[in-house]
Amino acid sequence: MKRPPREVTWRTRFEDWLNAPQPIERLALARILLPLVLLAFQSSRLIHADHWLSPIGFRVPYLGGHDWRQPLYIPPVSPGVAWTVAILTVASGLALAAGFFTRASAGLFAALLAYLALADRLEAFTVSKLGPMLALALCFSPSGARYGLDAWRRRRRNPAAPIPTHVSGGVIRFFQVFLCAMYSGAGIAKLRGDWLGGDVLWSHLHDNYQTTISWLLVRAVPGWGWQALQYLSLIFETAAPLWFALPWTRRYAVLAGLGMHALIGLMFGPVIWFALLMSTLLVSSYLPEAWLLRLFRRPPAARQVATG
Amino acid sequence: MPARKPSGAVSGAAKPKPTPPDGARVMAQPWLPPSVRRIVAVLAGLYALFVWMDGAGIGLPDAILPLPLRFFVQEAALFPHSARDAIEWRAEGWRCDLGRFEELDVRPFFPIRRDDKESRFYRAMFFHYRQRRVLEALDEFIVEQQNRAHPEARIGGVMLLDLRIPIPPPGTPERRYERLPLTDYPQEVERKYWYVTASDDRTRRCEEPGAP
Repeated sequence: MKRPPREVTWRTRFEDWLNAPQPIERLALARILLPLVLLAFQSSRLIHADHWLSPIGFRVPYLGGHDWRQPLYIPPVSPGVAWTVAILTVASGLALAAGFFTRASAGLFAALLAYLALADRLEAFTVSKLGPMLALALCFSPSGARYGLDAWRRRRRNPAAPIPTHVSGGVIRFFQVFLCAMYSGAGIAKLRGDWLGGDVLWSHLHDNYQTTISWLLVRAVPGWGWQALQYLSLIFETAAPLWFALPWTRRYAVLAGLGMHALIGLMFGPVIWFALLMSTLLVSSYLPEAWLLRLFRRPPAARQVATG
Repeated sequence: MPARKPSGAVSGAAKPKPTPPDGARVMAQPWLPPSVRRIVAVLAGLYALFVWMDGAGIGLPDAILPLPLRFFVQEAALFPHSARDAIEWRAEGWRCDLGRFEELDVRPFFPIRRDDKESRFYRAMFFHYRQRRVLEALDEFIVEQQNRAHPEARIGGVMLLDLRIPIPPPGTPERRYERLPLTDYPQEVERKYWYVTASDDRTRRCEEPGAP
């Protein structure tokens, strides 16, 4: 007996959009690069784990539990525990990037990153806050199904098993929606701040975040050039949901986003890790499929089962 | 060729689309049960919404989320305002042997990113420059570190201050940033003192065993 066709409603349309299959390479790229960028960001802290997490370094005392500067007071740990946390963070992050015990390593990595973000506000930045959420997203998804050690071990056990080419879209949709929310929120915050009339970009180029490139730009770019860059950022960020939703603007939005992050990363010293993290998300989420598959040297057509 | 039913890590997704006639599509199997996936999807959507709201200045996340969760959605409002001055946080130490304050290079005591704004000293001053309790803890920490590292130059207390270096108008060519000693900054660079160790405490610490 034939099943009656599914009734098309807003809900079914949304579910179809949410679950639409995505090339597995999007997820694999995020799984390989995000933990590496997060570890690179944390590396300057992890090599001083005792100064970071134990009483060997300066610790902000307990502030009473209602202070935004201390969202959660976590007492310092012994230097031995601090080093153990550091080693586990590196090990779980590398394991996740390699797709080795992917689910467990992603869960552990997310938990450790959350602890590191909350244990010490002084070392918590935007990247620290983003890290646990991204690792958790990788944990909840089948991110180790291909291009990793778990996939390789599975293939050795069962060479006849077909190689996955796609994932259900949920996690990729999360990355895509999150990027739009992040850009749009940032754009509105800038609009409400000084970006329309003030010299925001210029004013942040004179302290110890200054790099050789920002100093050269300070000398080379005329005053109006900084204002023009501010307007371009505002146009890109505030309307990001539109640029990424429309198929004919999407690839230009990817290029604009990568350009913006490259400029930020090169001009503001340690902010480069934030720029790389966002660029990774951008590429994983929105890079045109043909480019993505070329990156992984995967042929786009039917030879998947044989060659993947 | 129809898509083969995969086994092990791969199988049909929860709601697979019709397999294309070329048979290329093999879905990786999600490991969460569908009901949990739905809950996770709702939470993920709320997270993205709260990040956007926080950036857009809508106070709902502040109103309903406890501090530790709110912290994780406060990430979109980056650099919204222009800086009036370039701020340098500095410390001076009360030299027990000389009986006066002298500039103290505290960077070795805060080795994480010691030379930029992400140093723990900078961050502690940035967040807590009006919180005496934190400044007292900072005072104690710096005195202890200095006296352990340089017993020949013991200090009894500190002054914690910032320098406000004026930013020139856009397009003005300028010298590359470099960290200068306090004494090298010209008069027009404003100094704001946020904390000074009480005189009694300085005397007491200087008289403690081990002092010259």
